[in-house]
Amino acid sequence: MAGPRSYIFNVVNTLKTTLVGMRITGKYLMRKPITVQYPDERMPIPDRFRGIHYLEQEKCIDCLVCARACPIDCIEMEAVRHGKELEWISFTLDYQKCMFCELCVYPCPKDCIHMGTEYAFVSFDRGDFKHDLLSYQGMAPDARERMREADAKKRAAAAAKAAQLPPGGEALGA
Amino acid sequence: MSNEASIHGAGEHAAQREFELEVRAQDMEVNFGPQHPATHGVMRVLVRSDGEVVTGAQAHLGYLHRCAEKIGENVEWLMYLPYTDRYDYLSAMNNNLGYSMAVESLMGIRIPRRAELLRVICVELNRVGSHLIAFGTYGMDVGAMTPFFHCFREREWMMALFEKICGARLTYSYIRIGGLFNDAPPGWLEEVARFCDVFEERWVEYEQLLLSSHIFIQRTAGVGVLSREMALAFGVTGPMLRASGVDWDLRRDMPYSIYAEIFAAGAFKVPLGSGAKGKLGDCWDRTWVRVMEMRESIGIVRWCLAHMVEGPVVGDLPKVLRVPAGESYVAIENPRGELGHYVVSDGGRGSIRTRVRGPSFSNLAVIEELLPGALVGDAIAIIGSIDIVVGETDR
Amino acid sequence: MSTGEGNAFLDLLNAVLPASVPSWIVVPSAAVLAIAVCVALISVNTMFSVWLERKVAGHIQCRYGPMYTGWHGWLQSLADAVKLLVKEDIVPRGADRILFVLAPALALAGILGAMAAYPFAPHVFFADIDLGLFLILALSSVTTIGIVMAGWASNSKWSLLGAMREAAQVIAYEVPLGLALLVPVMIGGTLNLIEASRLQSDWFGMGWFVFKNPFALPALALFFTAALAETKRAPFDLPEAESELVAGFHTEYSGIRWSFFFMEEYTGMFLMSAIAAVFFLGGFESPLTWGLRQSLGEDPGFLNHVVRADGSTQTLIAIGGFVFQLVCALTLIVKTMLGVFLMMWLRWTLPRLRVDQVMTMGYKYLTPLALLCVLGGGLWEWARAGWGS
Repeated sequence: MAGPRSYIFNVVNTLKTTLVGMRITGKYLMRKPITVQYPDERMPIPDRFRGIHYLEQEKCIDCLVCARACPIDCIEMEAVRHGKELEWISFTLDYQKCMFCELCVYPCPKDCIHMGTEYAFVSFDRGDFKHDLLSYQGMAPDARERMREADAKKRAAAAAKAAQLPPGGEALGA
Repeated sequence: MSNEASIHGAGEHAAQREFELEVRAQDMEVNFGPQHPATHGVMRVLVRSDGEVVTGAQAHLGYLHRCAEKIGENVEWLMYLPYTDRYDYLSAMNNNLGYSMAVESLMGIRIPRRAELLRVICVELNRVGSHLIAFGTYGMDVGAMTPFFHCFREREWMMALFEKICGARLTYSYIRIGGLFNDAPPGWLEEVARFCDVFEERWVEYEQLLLSSHIFIQRTAGVGVLSREMALAFGVTGPMLRASGVDWDLRRDMPYSIYAEIFAAGAFKVPLGSGAKGKLGDCWDRTWVRVMEMRESIGIVRWCLAHMVEGPVVGDLPKVLRVPAGESYVAIENPRGELGHYVVSDGGRGSIRTRVRGPSFSNLAVIEELLPGALVGDAIAIIGSIDIVVGETDR
Repeated sequence: MSTGEGNAFLDLLNAVLPASVPSWIVVPSAAVLAIAVCVALISVNTMFSVWLERKVAGHIQCRYGPMYTGWHGWLQSLADAVKLLVKEDIVPRGADRILFVLAPALALAGILGAMAAYPFAPHVFFADIDLGLFLILALSSVTTIGIVMAGWASNSKWSLLGAMREAAQVIAYEVPLGLALLVPVMIGGTLNLIEASRLQSDWFGMGWFVFKNPFALPALALFFTAALAETKRAPFDLPEAESELVAGFHTEYSGIRWSFFFMEEYTGMFLMSAIAAVFFLGGFESPLTWGLRQSLGEDPGFLNHVVRADGSTQTLIAIGGFVFQLVCALTLIVKTMLGVFLMMWLRWTLPRLRVDQVMTMGYKYLTPLALLCVLGGGLWEWARAGWGS
């Protein structure tokens, strides 16, 4: 312990820095805290937040680009094609694997898979985490309508074509 | 022990010897971790101590190994980006930048100016956040619980900023090969400027509450002195190296991105340890360098905000990324030191070798030299001052 | 008995019970009643202190602290107590069972014994002990035995380290603690807490020892610092240094056994603050008590013995005296709680000292400074008394 000077300096500096520190903590003691009472109050979530996905099912064309873009292969989808229409069976995303990297969102050609602002996904059963993003299974409500229309149009076109051809005798006639 | 004594025969001499053998003390072997409040992450340090004085230390790693480098060989170029977030999770933007730059150097593409500026802003803000954690948790290690919460208050704002720009708070995957994933939303740059202003005031408080506290100085000054030679011999980099008096910062000495320009404009200087409170290269110096670096980072962010331009944020990239064959090593200055990415490409869709040089791994090696001779409390102070992130040590 | 009437518990029982009950039943009953009140006080104090600590810590750290259990979490301590009661009783393998079980009891017993000298009010006390201060200092050191026992019996290296630190620390700081207390003892000339408080009732109730001698203020600071070290509070909380030793000497304790150590810590804080309040800051005295004394007489008790015309005595409760006792009790509690609050404030501001720095501070800084205070204080008192003429 070197000399009386450093001794006095130690004592004085300890007291001084203690008081300065106490002033800072005392200041915050008197202020309103900055925390929110979760789960009663929540922090605001920005739009770009990478939360649980949602799918715009009507736009999706089952191209599997998002599934291929996923580094962990957590997207699986199954659909049956009926011409231009899709009959959806499942579109699952395994949240046990998903790392919320958003690499599936960018390559989508129809811009139909997005990440939402939901982040709380709690369950007692592991099976629940293979989350199905479909809002309806099977075909879209107006899909059959469209198919029927398309079918009708095809038949009409075929009929028109058949109508355009003259009756066998006439074509060969004069 | 008593068997030996009986072998050596009877008599006073034997009784004396038996007494000595039974009284001989053994060094205590204590496990710091893998579950311990003070090891920053899942790491085990086997400490041999004679009561309060440490006589030997050995770090056991691998508890957080997640095969990051092996995964690099199995996924495509762009897919690897989220994995880079996760080794040094406290400075994810830096990791993204390092990897992206390594791949971009193989591809030889130009990054748009706005993307470069936004990259530097994000990286420096991340540096501030990382040093806030280092500083706050270091306070906790030496017993001051409060600065940790105050540091996290600022870090919360930083994370909210990042949440607005990329959607995530910790593992950003924002800096991608060729630029950025998306542009900053409107109002973001103004909020960053506000953050810089408020942070400078709070910085003064951190300094007063912890860094200048006499008790903190007594705990850390003169403790764990890392000499220049030892630092260079162990390959230590980052704030640890600078605290030992070696003037080496990759941002200035091997500049990447636009740092050469920033340094030439005088927007930042490199804080160097000086043994102000104790010896050169002690724990206080390391903490001081980190606290000063926070202020320097805010200066860099301000410069980038002042020179911001409009423009695209992502260069022209093909849909499927194929990188020409070759190998490249790009090192950047992580908050912990030199983070190096070595990628080897054979022209395919993914790398055939991704090697990551994590700074914490080399930095950690010094504890075998620094810990012996220190007290147990000092051991904690030393390990804390190295600022280890085990995710980076183990990958 | 040096102050007015006797022990309030004894008086109460005497007044309530019929005269036919022999004194060898009444006196022990009074003692049991007093002990029950003491234990109740300590429990309530612990619960309140725990809640206060968590709220103070929370607000300093820009957060709320407990909010869920009752208004601003005031029932949190109760919830914790219930939880601790229903926890599994674990004794680690290889632990010395007898010592393991005995240690928390011994720690708490020491501090409970020291509480015997704590007066609630001038007439409400467990025992009017002429060596009150000495008793407190002596018995509060018994807790150290309990803690060292706990560290040893836990069969864990971490605990042992914490216990050794505790023993070294307490021994080092006993000296400045006692020395710093010599200054008010010299001013007042008594070790009796009630008497000491009574001596500070002049100067309109502000004749506190800390104002009567310029060396009393540094002595207060030194006493407070030494008290922080005695009660293992930051910056001297090495024995349970969280980030170094997980939980120090009480790592292996869980449930009610652990809560005994907790109670011992908070009771120790309370007691040390109470000593500071009584011997430096006036104890029961304040301008309010001075005012009450002016209107009610010098030493109003709250039992009035009225001698009736036929010679029998009737005991009535004197309202004025009751109010006086209550005001005294509250004043002391407020002063004590201020000391406790200051201890908490310091805990959340300062980092922890390393063990050799604790020793250095105790032996090389506090002890010499305390000796200087004693010397100066003594000379001042001698001068005040006219240099012995």
